[in-house]
Amino acid sequence: MVAPELLVERLNRGVSKRNARWTFLHEHAFGDALAMRRFRLGNGLTLLTLVDRSAPTVSYHTWFRVGSRHERPGKTGLAHLFEHLMFNATRTRPLGQFDRLLEGAGAEANAATWTDWTYYYENAPRGALPLLVELEADRMSNLVLRAPQVVSEKEVVANERKLRVEDDIEGKALELLYATAFRRHPYGWPTIGWMKDIRGFTVRDCRQFYRTHYAPANATVIVAGDFDEGRALGLVQEHYGGLPKVGAVVPVAQPKEPPQRAERITQLRAPTPSEKILLGYQAPAFCHPDTSALVVVNELLFGGRSSRMHRALCVDEELAFAVRGSIAPFVDPGLFEMWIFVHEGKRRQAALERLEGEIEQLASAGPMQSELDKAINQLELSFLHSMETAGGKAEQIGFYETVAGDGSAMFDRLDAYREVTPDDVERVATKYLRPSRRTRVEVVRGHG
Amino acid sequence: MSLLVEPSDVLPLVDVEIAFRVGSLQDPVGKEGLAQLTGHLLRRGPRGMSQQRFEDELATLGARASVEVSMRTTRVRATVLRRNLEPLLNLLARMLWRPALRARDYDQLLRQAQASLTARLDDDQTLGALSFRSALFGAHPYARTLSGTESSIARIDVERVRAFYRRHLENGDFVVGIAGAVTELEARALVASHFPAHRPRKRRAEKLPAPRMRRGRHVVVVDKPERSQTQLFIGTLGARTHDPKLFPLIVSNTAFGGTFSSPLMQEVRGVRGWSYGAYSRLLHSTQRDAWYMWTAPSAEYSAACAALQLELLERWVDRGIKGSELRFSQQYLINSHCFDRDTPSKRLEAKLDVELLGIPRRYVAEHDRLIGGVTRDQANEATRARISPRNLTIVVVATAADVVPSFEALPDVTSMEIVPFDRT
Repeated sequence: MVAPELLVERLNRGVSKRNARWTFLHEHAFGDALAMRRFRLGNGLTLLTLVDRSAPTVSYHTWFRVGSRHERPGKTGLAHLFEHLMFNATRTRPLGQFDRLLEGAGAEANAATWTDWTYYYENAPRGALPLLVELEADRMSNLVLRAPQVVSEKEVVANERKLRVEDDIEGKALELLYATAFRRHPYGWPTIGWMKDIRGFTVRDCRQFYRTHYAPANATVIVAGDFDEGRALGLVQEHYGGLPKVGAVVPVAQPKEPPQRAERITQLRAPTPSEKILLGYQAPAFCHPDTSALVVVNELLFGGRSSRMHRALCVDEELAFAVRGSIAPFVDPGLFEMWIFVHEGKRRQAALERLEGEIEQLASAGPMQSELDKAINQLELSFLHSMETAGGKAEQIGFYETVAGDGSAMFDRLDAYREVTPDDVERVATKYLRPSRRTRVEVVRGHG
Repeated sequence: MSLLVEPSDVLPLVDVEIAFRVGSLQDPVGKEGLAQLTGHLLRRGPRGMSQQRFEDELATLGARASVEVSMRTTRVRATVLRRNLEPLLNLLARMLWRPALRARDYDQLLRQAQASLTARLDDDQTLGALSFRSALFGAHPYARTLSGTESSIARIDVERVRAFYRRHLENGDFVVGIAGAVTELEARALVASHFPAHRPRKRRAEKLPAPRMRRGRHVVVVDKPERSQTQLFIGTLGARTHDPKLFPLIVSNTAFGGTFSSPLMQEVRGVRGWSYGAYSRLLHSTQRDAWYMWTAPSAEYSAACAALQLELLERWVDRGIKGSELRFSQQYLINSHCFDRDTPSKRLEAKLDVELLGIPRRYVAEHDRLIGGVTRDQANEATRARISPRNLTIVVVATAADVVPSFEALPDVTSMEIVPFDRT
């Protein structure tokens, strides 16, 4: 590969517009074969590249630092609705052409929105890169927002909400969990938005949102896979270089949650044959130094059939037929979520007490080193799986860039897990997994 | 035994698959779920090792393993950190050829299987899909669910499972696939030292009857309370794997409802916003499998959405696809084919499918030529010959009171059946 400094020098030759000039920032190697490089365009757009020729594909991601946390009450769900609108017409392309061109090239395109970010991606055959750059640059600045599309997409989103929340017990329980756990912070409202808010959006809301958040300085483009780096830089320079430098959106400090001193309990009645318990323990932000140890705790408790919770609840006493745990990877403190799917004929309370017993045991006696090694091997396996495809690599880099502030931090993730000691496990389990720090949703049989 | 290897030095990771040509089609009538229970009991580990120790050993290796049963195959799938490949193969070999098959593990497995069947009732899309296959195939084996039913698995005891294992797996022929950070030479040596060299029993080739097309349009309402959203499946019989019209039909179906920009998605979602998703799928097997459309419209316009889909279906079959649609569909299928082989495990899977499912080798080797060679006349003729808009199964998961009158009013409905969701 050509040295990045030389590439930048060559591409900047004769370019007078400051917005279109490249700066090379740094490179981070991963093993012998892979390296992530960071470049910045004069208008503030960050480009991260990772060349990997193991398959003839390329993945193109655009991550915007905007999610549901940037909304306000009465306008919840706008970031998500906007994600849908981005697939509509632009000033240069009629409705439908975006998808048609990409599909014709054999590309898959989609997007996702959560609390802290929105991202758009295309996974394509390697030859399609010029098309991807052109289409993404176009919709970053030329999107057309008119009533018919906004009305139609609002209906699609309302249907999506019914599909994923209103008629989905787990979706509904999660929404209730976050609404109960967060009283001030925007994490308390659902990313898809409240139905009333979805119905109420206007074209004006959408235009204002676009102007505020969709700018080069608020975005990171990631290109991973089989491509020529110099050619990619040239294409990005050509198509994004003309966009104005608009100041990056200044992050708004979100209200802090008041300290939780007692457990919050709520019930959800639903036409379900099996009862469930959903717990949310207040957890640190993704970038907090304790997060690595908590991820290991989650693996010890919930990582597959050899985990403590599976053994205790699903095998030894058969109180549950499934258990699940995960930590919300948010910019601000989120929740450590735990699900118990209670066996028919077994008591919810008995299942909960068994779960608490397992947590207490881990917090007081910690794991043996061999158990810790097992958990870390499982995390290594998950990490390698996430790196199998070009799309997987681009997604990981984009996530770390947007949430942790540095895409290359993903490469250090395994080392951070390996540094976790049994004492760390005890300490974070004691600190975070106390009943007084949690919210509980009990899903019981009945009609809502 | 045969071995397929797909080497790749990109990541220190190896996928292993050990596959047998036996699946739920071998379930005796009334004991549906037997093949899957056998696979899942095998997964509980070998003799001389408790279930928990087996799980601990697997996890300590940085490995995950599952036993997946389909209509025609039982596949042990595992993935492992490269440095632990050999101990994993040893563990899998013991699991497969010296299995514990303990009665107490089976009792627990049965209770978990019953609980999973109950939990499935929470998932409307799965309910709809299973009800659709059941209504479309009737008494044909393709109607069977892999997991069986509460009553069918209650009839299976551990002796029955052991007998199934002895008959179909213990001395059965198998195929091993290894993909990832391993050379062909290494893979051969490892497999030879850990797996038995079997002389397989000769098995008669399965002779399945052809499924019978049910005449007319039949509506099944899966009645579930408090549904604001419905799950809608509309379909009929599709094609056989060896059907000479298979590739023309794949191209035609892709043009109709196989992509985001296809007419089905555009009319249902793009123009009307009626459903988050809308697609059509063509399945194929030794006999004709299903072709179907799926959408998830709100209850208030579920019947209107069904009527629109029927209209689009009739138009597709009657008028066929245009030349531009044909070319687009071919381009899409050929260009996106790289994603069917962008990881070593996907490349291995394609080879295994050829070996196990009788998929002609040229379907993989000459994919682009077979797709690119389809003419518009062939595509439209295949659609007319295989997709029958007059003979349809329509399944809707909904609150019956909200939808029955409007579905009865759909054109040419021959019958209407209402099934409580907890009796599907």
